[in-house]
Amino acid sequence: MSADAATHDDHTPSMWDWRRWVFSTNHKDIGTMYLLFAIFAGIIGGGLSGLMRWELAEPGLQVFNNGFWGNEHNYNVATTMHGLIMIFFMVMPAMIGGFGNWFVPLMIGAPDMAFPRMNNISFWLLPFAFILAVMSMFVPGAGGDMGFGGGWVLYPPLSTSGHNGPAMDLLILSLHIAGVSSILGSINFITTIFNMRAPGMTIHKMPLFVWSVLVTVFLLLLSLPVLAGALTMLLTDRNFGTAFFAPEGGGDPVMYQHLFWFFGHPEVYILILPGFGIISHIVSTFSRKPIFGYLGMAYAMVAIGFIGFIVWAHHMYTVGMPVDLKAYFVAATMVIAVPTGIKIFSWIATMWGGSIEFRTPMMWAIGFIFLFTVGGVTGVVLANAGVDQALHDTYYVVAHFHYVLSLGAVFAIFAGWYYWFEKIFGVKYNSLFARLQFLFFFVGANIIFFPQHFLGLQGMPRRYVDYADGHAFWNMVSSWGYVVMLIGMAFFFLVLIDAIIRRRKADANPWGEGATTLEWTLSSPPPFHQFSELPKIK
Amino acid sequence: MPDLYGEAMRFLTAIALTWMTAAAGAFATPGQPTDGNLGFQPAVTPIMERINEFHNLLLWIIIPITIFVMGLLLWVMIRYNRKANPTPSKNSHNTLLEVVWTAVPILILVVIAVFSFPLLYFQDEIPEADFTIKATGYQWYWGYEYPDQDVPEYISTMVAEEDLAEGQLRNLSVDYPLVVPVGATVRLQVTAADVIHNWAMPAFGTKMDAIPGRINEAWFQVNEEGTYYGQCSELCGIRHAFMPIEVHAVSQDVFDAWVAAGPGSDEANAVIAEYSAARETRLAQLD
Amino acid sequence: MAGHAAKHDYHLVDPSPWPFVGSLGAFLLAVGAVGNMKGLVGADHPLAFMYGDGSFGGLILGFAVVIYTMIGWWGDVIKESRQGDHTPVVDLHLRYGMIMFIASEVMFFVAWFWAFFEYAIFHEVRLDPGLAQWPPAGVETFNPWHIPLMNTLILLLSGTTVTWAHHALQHGDRKGAKLGLIFTVILGVCFTSLQVVEYMEAHFAFSMADGGNLYGSTFFMATGFHGAHVVIGTIFLAVCLVRLLAGQFTPEKHFGLEAAAWYWHFVDVVWLFLFAFVYVIFG
Ligand code: HEA
Ligand code: HEA
Ligand code: CUA
Ligand SMILES: [Cu+2]
Repeated sequence: MSADAATHDDHTPSMWDWRRWVFSTNHKDIGTMYLLFAIFAGIIGGGLSGLMRWELAEPGLQVFNNGFWGNEHNYNVATTMHGLIMIFFMVMPAMIGGFGNWFVPLMIGAPDMAFPRMNNISFWLLPFAFILAVMSMFVPGAGGDMGFGGGWVLYPPLSTSGHNGPAMDLLILSLHIAGVSSILGSINFITTIFNMRAPGMTIHKMPLFVWSVLVTVFLLLLSLPVLAGALTMLLTDRNFGTAFFAPEGGGDPVMYQHLFWFFGHPEVYILILPGFGIISHIVSTFSRKPIFGYLGMAYAMVAIGFIGFIVWAHHMYTVGMPVDLKAYFVAATMVIAVPTGIKIFSWIATMWGGSIEFRTPMMWAIGFIFLFTVGGVTGVVLANAGVDQALHDTYYVVAHFHYVLSLGAVFAIFAGWYYWFEKIFGVKYNSLFARLQFLFFFVGANIIFFPQHFLGLQGMPRRYVDYADGHAFWNMVSSWGYVVMLIGMAFFFLVLIDAIIRRRKADANPWGEGATTLEWTLSSPPPFHQFSELPKIK
Repeated sequence: MPDLYGEAMRFLTAIALTWMTAAAGAFATPGQPTDGNLGFQPAVTPIMERINEFHNLLLWIIIPITIFVMGLLLWVMIRYNRKANPTPSKNSHNTLLEVVWTAVPILILVVIAVFSFPLLYFQDEIPEADFTIKATGYQWYWGYEYPDQDVPEYISTMVAEEDLAEGQLRNLSVDYPLVVPVGATVRLQVTAADVIHNWAMPAFGTKMDAIPGRINEAWFQVNEEGTYYGQCSELCGIRHAFMPIEVHAVSQDVFDAWVAAGPGSDEANAVIAEYSAARETRLAQLD
Repeated sequence: MAGHAAKHDYHLVDPSPWPFVGSLGAFLLAVGAVGNMKGLVGADHPLAFMYGDGSFGGLILGFAVVIYTMIGWWGDVIKESRQGDHTPVVDLHLRYGMIMFIASEVMFFVAWFWAFFEYAIFHEVRLDPGLAQWPPAGVETFNPWHIPLMNTLILLLSGTTVTWAHHALQHGDRKGAKLGLIFTVILGVCFTSLQVVEYMEAHFAFSMADGGNLYGSTFFMATGFHGAHVVIGTIFLAVCLVRLLAGQFTPEKHFGLEAAAWYWHFVDVVWLFLFAFVYVIFG
């Protein structure tokens, strides 16, 4: 079949040919598969958060009350899987696999990725990893209860001696496979970006999205193997009698936390950096101005990536670390606010003096800048070990990270989605529906997550299926916010349905002169193989 | 199906209530969450007082920063939209500006650090303590031991909803609480027997992981008589939400009587109950 | 095989079944492993031989699919290379790819060293006095100057023989290249064999079930993962030897061999760290 396909290389194969997708070596097709996979995973992850918000809507057990949805353990399973799915199977595939695959080659003027076939295994490992994760929810975890309910951070001993069933083993291997997928993807991106830039595109002319992906994949390449090691230790502790985290054999559960967060903290920047890149393009396009302080923007991301590796223990202020060590991590963590501030202010300076048009992507981008700032400054609060002692493992932390993730990363994803939708699918979308989605998301997400700061300050712990009655009010508000957000999701689907039905042909460049990167020089959708003749950059 | 009308009414009432409480200024019972409140629970230890002060300082920093960013965004949206400014400038550099927005955040962070470190060291360095309490986390209850008073470990379990007595709180009250004398400096040692738990008491500003194979130390000094509630704050399995912590801060002689009665027994609980009842009447008379 | 109209040297690879088949293999391997360790079906289930507790059926199936993929995939790579698809820029891709892969492997070993150092240096926080000392009570460590020193010399020597092979090839000395590679493979096998002997002589256990503790865990996992890399490196070199004998390498183009050599040096350096810290300094 491969000889046959080779001769057909030059025109686009039929969309209905399954081999086009399953055997794909085309970065755009693979990118599309990543995006669809991310949407699918986002729906599952969002559904799990719906179960949680439903449970928490009022005191007592509503959902996980030994009925259809199981018991309190299953609440913990839902929380755990919500966190893991959103991070590993929604944000990362959408940003790096989806937008990264689509636009890194286009923006640097390359015909494809450096290793097109390896690109496809990076994708296909993910659905299989996802199946393993879903399987884990339906096999015994702790005692007779199904699934692993120990939090997305998988702390031992709860994840070793505390969960004896196969659920945790399946989850470990799921994450191993997802990790391999990301490592291979990272190698691919680094090679592509270093080796395949069009003639004349020096590293300092590279679009910021490409910069952001470059920094991101370096973080992945260097942090994921450490997670793989930690996961392997969990696996051998569970199954082969090793003592890494077992105190009775000299092991130490805290060591796991160090290994995990050495990965985990870079991971949170992995989740946001590509978003930074996307936002830069959108802000510049719709302000019709070049990005302000390009070099500062690029090196701010490098700085964030670098500092991101030396702050991990700010997640562990209450494990009993020596106080001087805590002081170090306080200082190092706060430093990250500086390069991040540079980014925020440079975006605003890009808009300053511009001629801003409030098209759909721009609305999401402005929303992002504001909401990310809110999440960022609460991060600075948490960075201070003194206050973190009061806030650690409360809903304040949950509020912090949803502001940077669910209102930061997710807003960046939707911004990118509506920025590149026409380029990717070649059809226009209904911008009224898309704006309504933004409106409901903006309002809804704030109603969900802002009151969680109050809950945290009042002392409500995380990962609680049922809380003290004094937390009832803000929990109710938060759950109603979820309903508002759901309406936003309905508009998201309406946009899709509308685009599928109407199929209005998209223009090569819908955004006008502000859109300057190479992808806008190509048709929408771009030809199956672009840049047969490499573009020259002056 | 949830009762929508009831929900909506409760929603409105609660909003009204919140605003009233906020207006009346922290109208909260110490030691437990107050519905609809916005900030920390009232502080009853020196640590929590300092946390509260420092957090207020931080609010004075982060809220203006957020408002500043929001203001800038609003300004550019109004002043530089396509109608207001049809021809964009092409400027993309301003060294002075870039230096300023690097330097000013650094200065702000230095200010934060200057106040942050003393708090951190104050919390972490344990002063000369009057006595030690050892708390051990189990799935899913706490065990308390007073080595200095020769009180052997007794077990403290949540009171089930159907067994709640008058005045006890759902998910917060326990059968055999922890008791400390008011004003005493207590060294708290925490560890766990099975998985990681966390001994957390919002009103004290105490939060310490209970880790198998390790003993962690914290300290507190309760300045006000009363009953304080906290909860396990590290995911520990199916009943993580149901292993609360209850501390009674009482006068020294009541504490001694409680120790003499044998903590973990109904007699000891009776000592505390009698004391609390007397205190209630006293408080009622004061009003 | 790049599209005929293309005016660039990149290699646009044909559609390929291997990524999907390989992913399926990884999935089957994972399910098989969990079946073996925990039992996904009961002992009297018809699939017990595949996924029951202690079964090997599922593992073997998954492993077979993975190996099949590797042979097929890398076979295709070799074919493409011989067709001339590996232009200079594609060759450079491969180099970057290999370097990045090795970098990620280095970080994988960081995790195992981290665990080792944590215990070797900060053991005094352990509550059990027997475990709060180094080495822990009852652990008799190896004398670094016996087998470990020998193994160090073997690996160092193998590092020189693989360089010899590479240089010989570059200078068109195919005989020298052959000899160098044969020696390297033999030395690799010697290392592994000695490591097996050492493991059998160990006076401390791996599993807590046999009275082991964290010392055995870190020792066996760190040296074990290193050993696994030696085995993989040896196979890699052996494949190169076969390819050399089949005349697939030229003095100008032999990246497969270079990659194997890089990998081998990496394995070598990891060993030097193991030798220095695990055997000598904290031995
Ligand atoms: C996208 C993901 C993301 C991002 C970007 C961040 C960004 C930051 N995070 Fe967050 N964080 C998470 C995701 C993220 N975090 C997650 C998932 C957790 C919980 C994990 C778990 O336990 O499950 C967490 C938890 C977490 C903790 C641990 C809390 C606890 O468990 O007790 C801490 C503590 O230091 C912290 C700090 C920070 C800081 C300082 C930043 C900084 O990078 C923020 C910098 C940004 C700004 C400050 C705003 C813009 C700057 C300006 C406008 C300049 C001027 C500002 C100042 C001078 C202050 N985070
Ligand atoms: C990216 C990460 C992410 C995202 C988006 C979300 C989104 C949401 N989260 Fe999530 N959450 C986490 C990461 C995330 N969360 C993590 C890491 C934890 C900690 C877990 C743990 O404790 O172990 C957590 C925990 C957590 C809790 C605390 C549970 C507890 O401690 O008991 C709660 C409670 O309200 C909650 C609620 C929600 C809600 C209502 C949303 C809503 O915003 C959901 C609405 C749905 C969406 C916004 C998805 C839409 C996106 C798509 C459909 C994909 C689109 C893709 C393309 C266009 C390509 N989450
Ligand atoms: Cu004990 Cu949570
Ligand atoms: Cu962090």
